[in-house]
Amino acid sequence: MAVAEGPLPHEQVDVVVVGGGINGTGVARDLALRGARVALFERNDLAFGASGNSSGMIHGGVRYLSTAPHVTEESCRDSGYIQRIAPHLLFRIPFLMPVRTGAMRRVYFELLDAYFRAYDDFQDLKHSEPHCRLDAADTLRLEPGLVGSIVGGITFDEWGVDGGRLCVLNAVDAVEHGARVFTHTAVESISRAPADAAAPRSYVVQARDRRTGAALRVRARTVVNATGAWGPVTAALGGLDGANVRVRPGKGIHVVLDRRITNYAILSEAIDGRQVFLCPWQNVTLVGTTDDDYYGDLDDVHATSEEVRYLVQGVARTLPGVRTARAIGTTAGVRPTLFAYGPNEDALSRDHRVVDHTADGAPAVYSMIGGKLASFRLFAQEAADRIASRDLGLQAPCSTHARPLPGGSAVPDAVALSRRHRITPVAARRLIYRHGSRALDLLERAAGRPRDLDVVCPCEPVLEAEVRNAVRREWACSVDDVARRTRLGLGACGGMRCAARCGQIVAEELARPPSWGRTTALAFLQHQARGRVVALGPDQARQEALVAAHVRSSLGSA
Amino acid sequence: MKPLVCVVGGGIAGAAAALAAAREDVRVTLVDAGTGASGLCTGAIDRASVPEPPGPIGPIEDGARAILDALGAYFVSSAGALFVSTGGVVRPAAGGDASLLDVARLPPGPVGVVACSRPGWDAAALAVAWGERYRVFDAAILRTADERAVPDADFAARHDDPERLAWLSERLREAVARQGQDWAALVLPPSLGATWPRAPELSRLAGLSCGEAIGLPGGPAGLRFEAARDQALSAAGVERLRARVMGIQRADGAWRVLAQGATEIDATAVVLATGGLVGGGVEYAPAEGMHATAVPYGSRPFLRLTLDAPAVLGVRGAPLESPSSLFGTTPEALAWPWTEDCPLERAGVVSTASGLFAAGDLVADAPRTWLAALEGGARAGRAAAQ
Repeated sequence: MAVAEGPLPHEQVDVVVVGGGINGTGVARDLALRGARVALFERNDLAFGASGNSSGMIHGGVRYLSTAPHVTEESCRDSGYIQRIAPHLLFRIPFLMPVRTGAMRRVYFELLDAYFRAYDDFQDLKHSEPHCRLDAADTLRLEPGLVGSIVGGITFDEWGVDGGRLCVLNAVDAVEHGARVFTHTAVESISRAPADAAAPRSYVVQARDRRTGAALRVRARTVVNATGAWGPVTAALGGLDGANVRVRPGKGIHVVLDRRITNYAILSEAIDGRQVFLCPWQNVTLVGTTDDDYYGDLDDVHATSEEVRYLVQGVARTLPGVRTARAIGTTAGVRPTLFAYGPNEDALSRDHRVVDHTADGAPAVYSMIGGKLASFRLFAQEAADRIASRDLGLQAPCSTHARPLPGGSAVPDAVALSRRHRITPVAARRLIYRHGSRALDLLERAAGRPRDLDVVCPCEPVLEAEVRNAVRREWACSVDDVARRTRLGLGACGGMRCAARCGQIVAEELARPPSWGRTTALAFLQHQARGRVVALGPDQARQEALVAAHVRSSLGSA
Repeated sequence: MKPLVCVVGGGIAGAAAALAAAREDVRVTLVDAGTGASGLCTGAIDRASVPEPPGPIGPIEDGARAILDALGAYFVSSAGALFVSTGGVVRPAAGGDASLLDVARLPPGPVGVVACSRPGWDAAALAVAWGERYRVFDAAILRTADERAVPDADFAARHDDPERLAWLSERLREAVARQGQDWAALVLPPSLGATWPRAPELSRLAGLSCGEAIGLPGGPAGLRFEAARDQALSAAGVERLRARVMGIQRADGAWRVLAQGATEIDATAVVLATGGLVGGGVEYAPAEGMHATAVPYGSRPFLRLTLDAPAVLGVRGAPLESPSSLFGTTPEALAWPWTEDCPLERAGVVSTASGLFAAGDLVADAPRTWLAALEGGARAGRAAAQ
């Protein structure tokens, strides 16, 4: 399926979705599967904001068990559905929660055990193991790096997914069902179109390609604002009252360590009593997360060294080894939490809401506010149900819980694939992780061009064929975009070995001059260095200076 | 007994200081704990931090010229050199490692980019990136399957074998004959020797100019530097000691160098050529690295010399100050690309006591410049010997 290109002069679609995060791509896929004509506009890149920078945990919402057990049940059930439609994209995250000694801690331990017994009732829904209650010796046997006096520990089982990849797969599937996706295209205005006989009520959405400056115009029967933290900004473009779509933007960061330093995700308490964690994630480790009100530029969110120090201090209290681990970067995103004035950030509801703008004089315009990655599918279904029946008159029911995402129909065997195509088993395994059964098609297409099987990014690893695939079929148009789709350059070497080569390939695919390829590689390296330096430790400092020296001498510093 | 000059550091500045001092009437001992930044060099000899525009290079000090001759593996071109890099640029330099192909000095005609399946080497893409005169040149230069993946330095080491180099020249000759064109030169990936630049010999065998493109730091050019340095130092009669220097103290109007393993060297003069952060002479010591929860006791600059000596660190001539916060300086203030004048790249020794000399690219306030380090090293070595 080719990527849709070029302007759409006065083209008529059923739905315009604004926003290419998990909510936008999720609702676009849902509606496309029901037969609606969908156009999706994304200001930056798919998964640019919170979706691509989350920990990707599709957890069961154990926090909500005491206050809203139905939320836990919904979350667990939806997590089970995500596992069904994208089995290749999953990884297990077994949690270990050490319980420190102290006043009333034995009682607390009993209560915790009982709490997780209740949670066990839901674990089947998401194919997870029941919890385990461990004594102090067993807890330390599972993770000998723990310090401090503990009475015991609890294990529980959760699942993780690559949030960026999940967005891309939703978008790819939407396009394969007739949708069109425009990335790096900012919506400039949403206005009522003059009524005519064919379309008594419709909207004109004007957008601009931020790279070329080209203007686009689409007529749509309904508009969905799924722009997360940007939600109020988007609503203002449509002249809507911002009060109905207020969010409380909460910035969260993760520190990325260079490898899996534990087998278990470890929970710990930060200096202010908040829960923080360290979690093995794909082939790295994440330390997270913060939650702070954010009033800055949403297009340029980055972690600060203060946030990093807060997290590392919190985790080091339980697992001091984190101080000597090597940090290779940070991620930062802004959660679009439902607005409330008063509660502190952690106490805010993680619920979601579909706002109907009829009261603002804009019938058939909706905003999707709040939500979380773990229940994106359900949120998309709720929004799509309303739009399909009320505004589009489509009778087809939702099928996103049953139809696999692209590549999700089967998970091929990595060793067999590596033998057949003469790539390393590790490369095969990571390729299958990202592409599932479509790894086979990707390698078949590459068969005629042996260079395509060369490894571009040795850390991940990523093959040349996959970089080309990201540009041709997944809307990547910079090294940054390729990294979001393949994790190229996000490993231990920080892109030193692959960014320049990736820039060359992207430039070639997009028929741009080689100097443009260097510029996009340089932009990526600078972006990564900025994220990495806030987590700088004594051992990384030397590498950091070397990276700068290398970049300046071989790519130039412009 | 002749006076002794002790040089601390085995990079280009230290080697130049030792070689310059050895030309005078003194004994010289060079102490180092491994090659730092110079071992990671790309082979290009620069005079300015940002590569200068192509064109004539100003005069080089005589002392520095003599040391280049002693090293034997380098050339400096008064007209300026041009090198191609695997990053896809054609970049100017004052000179370089003799295995690099200087494309400024070629006869007219197309330059062949030798195609081979090596990481980061796409001949077609590089040919387009470098410009019009570059064409893909097909030749089978990999001998075994593992050569598709071995690191550049390992691949380069294979061409130290004369038989292998002859085999390579045969492959290139065959390919030239098959393609029947007049090639001005051939560019290969970083691969031509780990213990000595093999490009001149390969060019002789193949009958046309051959040379490398500049690769990533940590490639074969750094290994060739170490080999050329070792050869030159031993020819000059410089004594070597492999040890980490822990401190330098005053002793009876002279200096005492304390090295690991309880070794002490009493010297009339000392040259500090320990490099910056990349070289290993400077370390980054953030406050929170020390204790889990405690506020650090006292405060001190976030960068410090890795040895104890009467010298201070500074950036651009200004001494580094202690931070005014409990937990040290924020890293954002230190590093590229947050700040242009990045202390992680620029911190070096700024002031020294008499009889204690400092040399290096950072001392010259010209980071990453081989030539500045060489000239400064030669000057410091000569001064220390007098």
